[in-house]
Amino acid sequence: MPISAADPLLDIAGLSTGYGKIGVLHGIDLTVDAGEVVALLGPNGAGKTTLLRAVSGLLPWSGSVRFAGRDLAGASPRDTVKAGLSHVIEGHRVFTQLAVLDNLLLAAYDLPRGERASRVEEAFGLFPEIAAKRHERAAALSGGQQQILAVAQGLVRRPRLLMLDEPSAGLSPVLVDRVLVVVRRLREAGTAVLLVEQLIEKALALADRVYALARGSIVLEARTGEADLPHRLEHAYMATASRHT
Amino acid sequence: MVQSIVSTGVAIGCIYALIGITYNVMFSASRVFSFTAGTLGMLGGVLGSLFIARMGMPVVVGFLLALAGGAVLGIVTEIVAVRPVLKSLDQHLYVLSTLALALMIQQFTAIEWSTEPQPFPRLINVARGGFDQQFWLPMLACAAVIVGLELLYRHTLVGRAFLAIAEDNFAARALGLPERSLRMASYALAGVIGALAGFAGGEMLLAFFANAPMLTFYGFVPVALGGMGNNRGAVVAGLLLGLFQQTANFLVGGIFASVAVFTVFIIVLLARPEGLAGAALQRRV
Amino acid sequence: MDTPAAQLRPSHSIVLGSASTIGAALPFLVLLLVGVTFPLFGGGYWGVIATRACVYWVLVSGLNLVVGFAGQIAIGWVALLTLGAYTTSVLVAGNVTPALPPYLALAIAAVVGAIFGLIIGLPALRLRTFYFAITTLGFATIVTQVALAWQSVTGGGVGVAGPIFPKPFSSPWGFYYFCFGLAAICTWMTANVAASRFGRALTAIRDAEVAAEASGISKSALLGTVFLFSGAVAAVAGGLFAALQSYITPDAFTLDLSILFFIAILIGGRGSILGPLLGTILLTVLPEFAAPLVAWSTFLYAVLLLVIVLAIPGGIAEILDFRNRRPLESDRAIIPRPDLLERLLGTPPDAGALTLEQVALSFGGVKAIDGLDLDIRPGQVHGLIGPNGSGKTTTLNVISGYYAQQRGAVRLNGAALPVFARHRRAHMRIARTFQTPRIVGSASVLQNVMIGGTIDGEGTFVESLLSLPRHRRDEAMLRDTAMLALAAVGLERLAPVRADRLQHSELRFTEIARALMLRPAFLLLDEPAAGLSAEEIGRLGALLLAIARTGTGVLLVEHHADLIFDICHHVTVLNLGRMLAAGTPAEIRSHREVVNAYLGG
Repeated sequence: MPISAADPLLDIAGLSTGYGKIGVLHGIDLTVDAGEVVALLGPNGAGKTTLLRAVSGLLPWSGSVRFAGRDLAGASPRDTVKAGLSHVIEGHRVFTQLAVLDNLLLAAYDLPRGERASRVEEAFGLFPEIAAKRHERAAALSGGQQQILAVAQGLVRRPRLLMLDEPSAGLSPVLVDRVLVVVRRLREAGTAVLLVEQLIEKALALADRVYALARGSIVLEARTGEADLPHRLEHAYMATASRHT
Repeated sequence: MVQSIVSTGVAIGCIYALIGITYNVMFSASRVFSFTAGTLGMLGGVLGSLFIARMGMPVVVGFLLALAGGAVLGIVTEIVAVRPVLKSLDQHLYVLSTLALALMIQQFTAIEWSTEPQPFPRLINVARGGFDQQFWLPMLACAAVIVGLELLYRHTLVGRAFLAIAEDNFAARALGLPERSLRMASYALAGVIGALAGFAGGEMLLAFFANAPMLTFYGFVPVALGGMGNNRGAVVAGLLLGLFQQTANFLVGGIFASVAVFTVFIIVLLARPEGLAGAALQRRV
Repeated sequence: MDTPAAQLRPSHSIVLGSASTIGAALPFLVLLLVGVTFPLFGGGYWGVIATRACVYWVLVSGLNLVVGFAGQIAIGWVALLTLGAYTTSVLVAGNVTPALPPYLALAIAAVVGAIFGLIIGLPALRLRTFYFAITTLGFATIVTQVALAWQSVTGGGVGVAGPIFPKPFSSPWGFYYFCFGLAAICTWMTANVAASRFGRALTAIRDAEVAAEASGISKSALLGTVFLFSGAVAAVAGGLFAALQSYITPDAFTLDLSILFFIAILIGGRGSILGPLLGTILLTVLPEFAAPLVAWSTFLYAVLLLVIVLAIPGGIAEILDFRNRRPLESDRAIIPRPDLLERLLGTPPDAGALTLEQVALSFGGVKAIDGLDLDIRPGQVHGLIGPNGSGKTTTLNVISGYYAQQRGAVRLNGAALPVFARHRRAHMRIARTFQTPRIVGSASVLQNVMIGGTIDGEGTFVESLLSLPRHRRDEAMLRDTAMLALAAVGLERLAPVRADRLQHSELRFTEIARALMLRPAFLLLDEPAAGLSAEEIGRLGALLLAIARTGTGVLLVEHHADLIFDICHHVTVLNLGRMLAAGTPAEIRSHREVVNAYLGG
C-alpha cells in the first residue's frame, strides 16, 4: 500500500515494552518522515536502545508501529530488513571471525546471488578505508573501523530508513565525522535516518528534528532550528519533576 | 600388535571425534549441548543395518537413507527439545529435554530393533584382513567431514552464516539473517555427521542400541578436552582418546581400560574445566 | 526469648496460620496410614512392589536434596545403589572379611556411600551442568564395570547373595515394615531439611547463586554436606535392595534405574518432598499395571520427563499447589514502615568506614576502573553515578567481592577486605542487592527473605535433620525477623506468595528486605530504582534514608538522577572508570563537566 506524501515513513504510537517484568518504555509516540534525519537523545538507561530494538523486531512490543504503510506487528528483524528498515546495533558488533568482505556478504544474504557482489561494492565505495582491508578478518580492524563496517552492513540493503545506535561510541573525532558525512549524504539521497547519539552538538547539527527520551517516555520533541534547545534538553534530562505525592 | 592398537585406536578415535563434532555443531548453533549426539551415532549403525542387511537395499541407498534419518532426528531435536527451552529463564532445561528425547529413541530402538547387538553389513565387497575397511572407513568419514566443514565454512555463504550465528547470535539476528532456519539447518547437519559416524563405524561397533550411552560419553570427552565448539580440538582429543583406550585395553584389559579412561578424563577436566585448548569462541563481553 | 520481632507474631500467624501446616502434613499422614495398613489389603505380589517403592524412595529422598533442591543434574546416582548393595552383601556373606551382622554391614555401607557420594558429587563445584551430568554417568558405568570385573570380591557376573535381616524383618511383610519405617524416617528427615535454613540455602544455590553467595552461603560446604547425606542413604537403599532381590548381579544396576530415580524427582517437582515421593510411587507402580508396560517403562518415563519439562516444569508439586492459584489483589501498593527499622536493625557495631584506595581493574585492554578513591561512611547515603560503562557496577562488584581489583585496596575500618571471598562479605555485615532481582521464584517471599539470615542460624545440618530444639529456635527466629523485615519494606501481606508471582517493583523491595536480614553495617544497592514508578521511587528513597539513619552506610549506584539528588549526603560521579567529581548533590548538579558527561560532547 503506497503511502501518501503526508504520511510519515515510520509511525510509532503508544509503544510499550520491557525486559521480562521490567517495563522500560511507556507509550512512546514518534515519527520519522521520508528523507529526514531524526535524532533520539536521552540519558543512559532512558530506553533509547530498547526503542530501536523494539522497532526492528528484536524485542516484542505492544502498541502500534507502521513503516511505509505496513503494520510491523509481529515482524521479525528479517522482515523489517526486507521492508527497508535497517538497524545498526550498538557496540560495533561485527563478526570478528569472518573477513570484512564476508561481513558485508552476510548483510546481503537475502538478496539474489547476482546482486550481492554489486551491493557489497557499493558499500565499499562509501567507506574506502575498509575496502582496503576487505580480505582481512574483522578482528584485525580497530574499534572505529569495525563501527564503520557495521554501518556499511546496514547500507548494503539500501534501506529507506537506517537506524543507528550510538555510532560515535568509541570512535575518534575524525571517524565520527566520517560517519556523519555519510549520514548527511544519505539524507541527500533520500534515505531517512533515526540516530541515537550521545554527542548532542553533532547530532543537532545534522538532524532535522530531535526527540528526548527520559525514564521511558518522550519528554521533548522539537525541530533543531528552535531557540534555546540545548538548555531545554538539559532541563528535560535532569529535571526533578514534581512526582512525590 | 602395535599396528592393531594403532589402527583400532585411530579408527575408534575418529568415531569419537565425529560425535564430538556433532556436539560442537549443535552447540555452535544454539549454545546448548544435546544428549542426542550419541544417539545419532547409534542410529547411523542401526539404520544402516536395517536398510542394507535386513531390507536388502543397495549400500549407497541405505547409506543415504541413514544420513537422512540422522538429519531428521537432528531437526526433531531442535524443534522438540531445544527451541522450546531456549526461551525459558531456566537455562538448564535443555539438559533434561534432550536427555528425555535421547532416552525415548534409545528405548524405542531397543524394543523395536533388538536388545542384542546385530551385525552390520560389509559395505565394500572385499575380503577381510590387513588394513581393513572397518578401520579406514571411519578415518575416511572423519577426513571427509573435516574437509567438508572447511569448504562449507570458507566457501559458502550458508557456512559463513553458521559461523556468524555461532559467534554473535544477536548481531546475526539484527542483520536480518534467518536465524531460526539456520539453527535448524545446523541441527540437520549435526544429525548427518552423527549418523555418518555410526554408519562408518558400523562394522566395528555393530548395530546396538547400547552404543548410544557409550557414544554419548566417549563422544563428549573430545568436546570437554578439546574445548567447546572447537572442532580441531575435538579431532585431536578424539584420536588421543581412541589410542589411549586401545592401549589401556591391551595392557590391562577392557574393564580397567574404561576405568583408566574415565579417571584420566575426570582429572583433566577438574584441572582444566575449559578443556586443554580452551573455548574456541569467546563470548562477547 | 522475646525477639524484637515478637510483636509481629499475631499478624503473621493470621497470614500463615496453623491451618496451612495441617494442610501440608495431611498427604503425608494419609500415605503413612496407607503404608502401615497395606498388608491388610495388599497381596504378596503387591507387597514386593510396595517394598521396592519404599527402598527406591529411601534413595530418592536423599537424591532429592541434590537434584530437586540443589539443582545438580546427578543422573548416575545408581552408582551408590550398587556400592551399597555390594558392600552390604559382601560384608554379610563373609567372603572377604569375617561375616558381619546385617545392621552393622548396612551402617558401614552408609559410611562408604557417604564418602563416594562426596567423590561423585564434588566435580559439580568445578564443572558446568552438562559436564557434571556426563561425569555422573561415567561413574555409574565404572562402578558397574568394577563390580563385573572384581570377581574375587563381588563374584563378577555370577553375583553374590543379598543380606538377610534377622527376625522380625526376615519375613516378606516384616521386611516391608523395615523398609517402610526407613522410608518414613527419610521422609521426615528430608522434610525437616526442606523447612530449614539449609533447604532454603540449597534452593538459593540452584536459582540465585549470586544472591546465595551475597547472603554468606558457602556452596562447597553445603553441597558437600548434601552429597554426604545423599550418598549415605543411597547406599542404605542399596543394602535394602540387595536384601529384597535376595541375589544381586551387576546387570541389576542398569542406567534405566538411575534414570528412574532422576525422573521421579523431576516429575514430582523440584523443591518439594511430597512431589518426588508421589513420583517415585508412580514410577514404581506404573509398569505393574500391564505387562507390555514393563518393557516400555523407561520409554514412558522419558516421555513423562519431556512432557513435564515442556509443559509443567513444576511437576506434580506445581499441580498440587492450590494455595498459589488464589488470585492476588490487583492494586497492590508497597508502603514501607521505616519506624520498624530500628527494631529490626538495632544499633550496628562501630564498623568504621568502607574505603576504596586507588582501586584499578581492567578487562582485557579496557580499564573498567582506573584509580578510584571512595569513602562510604556509616549513617550516610553515598551516591555513585555515571554514564554507561563508567564502572559503577564494576565498583560495586569489587566491593562485594565478585571481582578482584588489580591494584589498590578495599578496606573496612582500615583492614583490607580479602579479594574474591564473596560469601565472606555477609559475615562482615556487607549486604547488597542486584541490578536484576535474584530470587528463588518457586519459593515464597518469606522464604526468600529468610535466606538472607542464613548465617545467623546456629543449628547444624544434623540438628535440622532431626528437628532438634536449636533448629526449631533458629526457624522461629528467622521467621520472625523476616516478617519484621517484610513489614519494614511494606510487603508483609505478600509473605506466603510464590515469589515469581510478584511484580518487578515488589521483587526489588524483597531483595532489600533480604539484605536487611544481615543487619548490615553497609548496604550496597545496584540500580534499585530501575523499573519503579515515580511514587515507588519516592518511597524507596525514604526507606533508604531511614536505613542510613539507623547507622548503616548506604552505597547507591544509580541512573536516576532525581533519586540521587534527593537522598544522598554525598555523590561521586564516575566517567570511564575515574572519578569525575565528588561532593554534595548541590555541588554536583551545577558541575559543568558532570552535566557534559551525562549529555555527551
